[in-house]
Amino acid sequence: MIPEKLLINKPASVHILSIAKKQFKGDDSPLFAVTGDLDIESNYGESAVFVAESRIVAIGDNFPDSFISLDFSSIENIEVKRMYGNAVLKAKTVGGSSIDLMRFTFAMADICDAAADFVLKVKSGETVESRFAAVEASFKNLRSFCPKCGRKLPSPNAECLNCQGKGKVASTLLHYIKPYAGKLIFCIILSVITTAAALVPPYVTSLMVDSIIPGRDKKMLIIIILFLLFVYFMQYAIGALRSYILRVAGDGIIADLKKEIYAKAQYLPMKFYDKTSTGSVINRVNSDTTVLQQFMLRITQEAVVQLFMMFGIIIIMLSMNWRLTLLSLIPVPVVVFCSRYFGKKISPMYRRLWRRSVAISSILSDTIPAIRIVKSFSSEEKAIKRFGRHVDDWLSEDKRAAKIAAIFPAVITFLITCGSVIIWYIGGNMVINTPEKLSLGVLVSFISYTSMFYNPVNFFANLSDSYQNALASTEKVMDIINAEPEHDFGKDKKLDNLKGKIEFRNVNFSFDRSKKVLNDVNFVINPGDVVGIVGTTGSGKSTLINLLMRFYDDYEGEILVDDINIRDIDMSFFRSQIGYVQQEPMMFRDTIFNNIAYSVPGTHPEQVINAADIANAHGFISRLPNAYDTMLGERGVGLSGGEKQRLSIARAVLKNPGILIFDEATSAVDSETEKLIQDAIDRLIRGRTTLMIAHRLSTLRKANKIIVVDKGNIIEFGTPDELMALKGKYYKLIQIQSMSEQVAAQKAAENFE
Amino acid sequence: MSRNFIDGNEIRLTVKDKIFCDVEFFTGQKFTDLEPRRLFPVSGLSEYITFLNSEGEEQFIIRKIDGMEPEQKKLLLGMLDEYYRIPKITKLVKFSEKHKIWMWEVETDRGNFTFEIINHIQSLKMFYDKRILIKDGNDNRYEIPNIYELDKRSQKLILPNL
Repeated sequence: MIPEKLLINKPASVHILSIAKKQFKGDDSPLFAVTGDLDIESNYGESAVFVAESRIVAIGDNFPDSFISLDFSSIENIEVKRMYGNAVLKAKTVGGSSIDLMRFTFAMADICDAAADFVLKVKSGETVESRFAAVEASFKNLRSFCPKCGRKLPSPNAECLNCQGKGKVASTLLHYIKPYAGKLIFCIILSVITTAAALVPPYVTSLMVDSIIPGRDKKMLIIIILFLLFVYFMQYAIGALRSYILRVAGDGIIADLKKEIYAKAQYLPMKFYDKTSTGSVINRVNSDTTVLQQFMLRITQEAVVQLFMMFGIIIIMLSMNWRLTLLSLIPVPVVVFCSRYFGKKISPMYRRLWRRSVAISSILSDTIPAIRIVKSFSSEEKAIKRFGRHVDDWLSEDKRAAKIAAIFPAVITFLITCGSVIIWYIGGNMVINTPEKLSLGVLVSFISYTSMFYNPVNFFANLSDSYQNALASTEKVMDIINAEPEHDFGKDKKLDNLKGKIEFRNVNFSFDRSKKVLNDVNFVINPGDVVGIVGTTGSGKSTLINLLMRFYDDYEGEILVDDINIRDIDMSFFRSQIGYVQQEPMMFRDTIFNNIAYSVPGTHPEQVINAADIANAHGFISRLPNAYDTMLGERGVGLSGGEKQRLSIARAVLKNPGILIFDEATSAVDSETEKLIQDAIDRLIRGRTTLMIAHRLSTLRKANKIIVVDKGNIIEFGTPDELMALKGKYYKLIQIQSMSEQVAAQKAAENFE
Repeated sequence: MSRNFIDGNEIRLTVKDKIFCDVEFFTGQKFTDLEPRRLFPVSGLSEYITFLNSEGEEQFIIRKIDGMEPEQKKLLLGMLDEYYRIPKITKLVKFSEKHKIWMWEVETDRGNFTFEIINHIQSLKMFYDKRILIKDGNDNRYEIPNIYELDKRSQKLILPNL
C-alpha cells in the first residue's frame, strides 16, 4: 500500500497513484517517491519512481503497462545522467540492458541522485535506515523554500531574509534620508523663504506698471527698488546657505549608501560573486549611489519647493483673475498624460543603458588589472576594439534614450508656451476692451507668474525621467543590500579549544544543478593528522576545502569539526581558526608589515618578524630597501610568486590556527623556492590538523593520510602505505610522477653535461 | 598530446541507447560506448563534435558535421538533439515579478511550463543572432530562437529587460 505520509517531492497525480497502488499491496509499500516533470521524450508531463526496500518502480507512459519494476538485485548500476537541458535516471540491468526510468528537469536532480544512491548502497549491503536518512536529508534540502518568495532557505523553517522588511522604493530610500532629516527640513524651510521671495517681484511689477510709473511717484519708486534689492539679496544669500547644507547632507547620504553596500558586499556568499561580475558591483557602489543621491535630493527638496511654488502661484493668479488662471491650467492634463507615456517609454531604455554600462565596467575591471597579460600577448588593439564595441553599444542605446529625453521636454514646453501665447491674446484683448476688469500691470504680472508656474509643471513632468533612472539604480543597489548574506546560525557559539577533528558526513554538493561536484563524501580526519588531498584537476579537491571554509553552505549532509556541525559555530570564529594558504596568494596594496598582520590587527612587530622568520620570508624582506615598510602594488606587484607565497604563510603563522589548509601552495614556484616554502610549511604544521592539496606528490611526504578524489567521489582514503598496497589510483599517480621525475632528472643531467 | 581531429566521413557510427554510440573508422579502428558532445554548444552547433568514452576522455573530434554522409549525419544530430534538448519558448503567456524574482509562464515546443528567474541580470542573454538563452532558478535552460519572431506581447514583455 502507499503510505499516507509518503516522502515525496510533490503530490503524484491520480493516474500515477492508481498505477502505484496496484504495484504496492498489503505490507509492501514504498519508502519514498519522486515525481518528475517531464515525460521520457522531454515533453512537459509527468512520471514517477517509487522506491521500496528492495525494488524500484518507475511509472511513465513509455513503459508497456505504464510501469516497470526492478528488484535491486537485477540492477547492476543506476545513476542520474545529467544532460544539457535535463536529466535521466538510468538503470543498467545485470543482463546489460539500459533502461531510462524517468526524465526530469534539474529541479529534481538532487533527490534523484539520492534515490540512485539509496538503491546502490542498499544493494551493496548498507542498512536501509542509514541510507534512508541520507534520502530524507536530500528531500529536506529540496523542500526548504520560502513559501512567500520561493527562494531557497538555508535550513527547513528558517526565516527568509529576502522577505524581511520589504517595502517600496520610497521607504527604502527614506532609511538613508532619516539621519539627515534635520538638515533637510531646515533646507526646506530656507527654500520656502527663497521661493516666497521669488513670488514678490512680479507682484511689485504690477504696482510699478499700474500706479508708480504712471503716477510719477519717485519717492515710492526708490522705496520699491530698495525693497526689491533686499528681497533679491535675501533670496540669494539664503540660497547659498541652503546649497551648502544641502551638499553636506547629500554627500552624507551617498557616503552612508556606499559604506552600507560595501559592508553588505563583504558578507555576501561566494555564490553571489560566482554569478555577479566585479564590474557590476563596482558600478553599483560608484554610479548607482550617485543617481540615488540626486534623486533623493530632488524628491526631498526640489519637489517640496516646486509644489509650494506651484500652489503659491495658483493662489496669487486666482486672486488676480480666475478666468485667465483656468486658461493657464489647460496644458496640465496634457503634461500629465505625456509624462506617463514618456515614463513607460524611457524606463526600459534606462534598464538597458544600465546593462550596457555594466558591460563596460566589467571590461575595465577585467582588462586593466590584467594589463600585463594584454601587453604580453600584444592584444592592445583587440582590447581597444572590444572596449570600443561595448562603448558603441552603450552609445547607441544612450542615443535612443537621449532622443526621447530631449523630445519630451521640448513637446511639453511648446504646449505650455502655446498656453502662454493664448493668455497674451485673451488678456491683451481684455486690457484693450475692458481695462476696468484687467489692467496692463496685472496682465504683465500675470504673464510673469504664468511663466513661473510652468517651472514646477516642467519639473514634475521631468520627474518621471529621473524617477525611472533612479528606479533602475535602486533595483541594482537593493539587489546587493537585500541579497541574502552568509548565514551565521551559530553566531557567538565559539569552541574553547579547537582540537581539529574534521568529519564529512554524506556530503553532496553542486554549484549548479546541472553538474554534481561532490558525491556522497564521507571521511574522518583526527586531530593532528596531516592529510594530503590528491586527484586530477577538476576532481573536487578545492571544493572540499571551499565547503570546509564555509564559502558555500548549501550542501547536503554535514561537516563536523570536533563533532560539532560547522554551520552551528560562529562563522567569524570558525574561519579565524583556519589558516588558509592559497595557490595564488592575494596581497593588498599596503606595506609588507600590514599584509602579514592582516589577520591580527595591532600585532606586535616582533610577532610579525617571528612569523616571517618561520615562513622563510624574513631574509628577503630584510634585504629590501624599505624592509617591512615596503609598499606592495596591487595584488602584491613587486614580489615574486614564491615571495608572496611565503608572506601568505607568515600570515597563517601569525593567526596560530587550529586547522591548516594548503591549496597547491608550492605548485607555481621553482624547486629551490619550493624547498624554502616546504621548510616553512613543515615548521608550521607541527601539532596541527593539516589538509594539503598537492599536484606534486613529493610535497605530501609529511602526510600520514591521503584522500584520493575522482569526479567528486572519495575513491581512496588511508595511510600512504595502505594506498600503495592497494595499488589503485594513488599508486598509479605515484608511479607516473616517479617516472616523470626520473625523466626530468635525466634531461637535467644531460643538459648539464 | 595532440587532439585527433577527423573529418565526418572518416567514421561510421551505430547509435546505442540514445546518446551513446559505437564508432568504427574506415581504417578498422573501433570505439564503443562513446558520447558525442558539442565543443561550442552555443556558438557552433554543427562544428567540432567531441566523442568521449565512459571515463570522459576524448577520443577524437569531428571538425564539421556537414561533411558526413546524410544518414550518419542524421544519426549524430539525433544523438546531439537528445543530449542538448532544451525547450524552445514560443510564447510568454504570463509575466509577473515579486521580490525581484520573475515568474514566467511560457508555451514551449515541449508544452506549457512555469518557472522562476531569480537573477534576471545574469540569467538572460541575448545574442547577435537575436537568440535568447535563459536559465531558471533550478539551472534549467530555455531558448528563444528569435525574439523578433515571438508575438508582439511577448516581445514587449521580454525586450525591455535585455
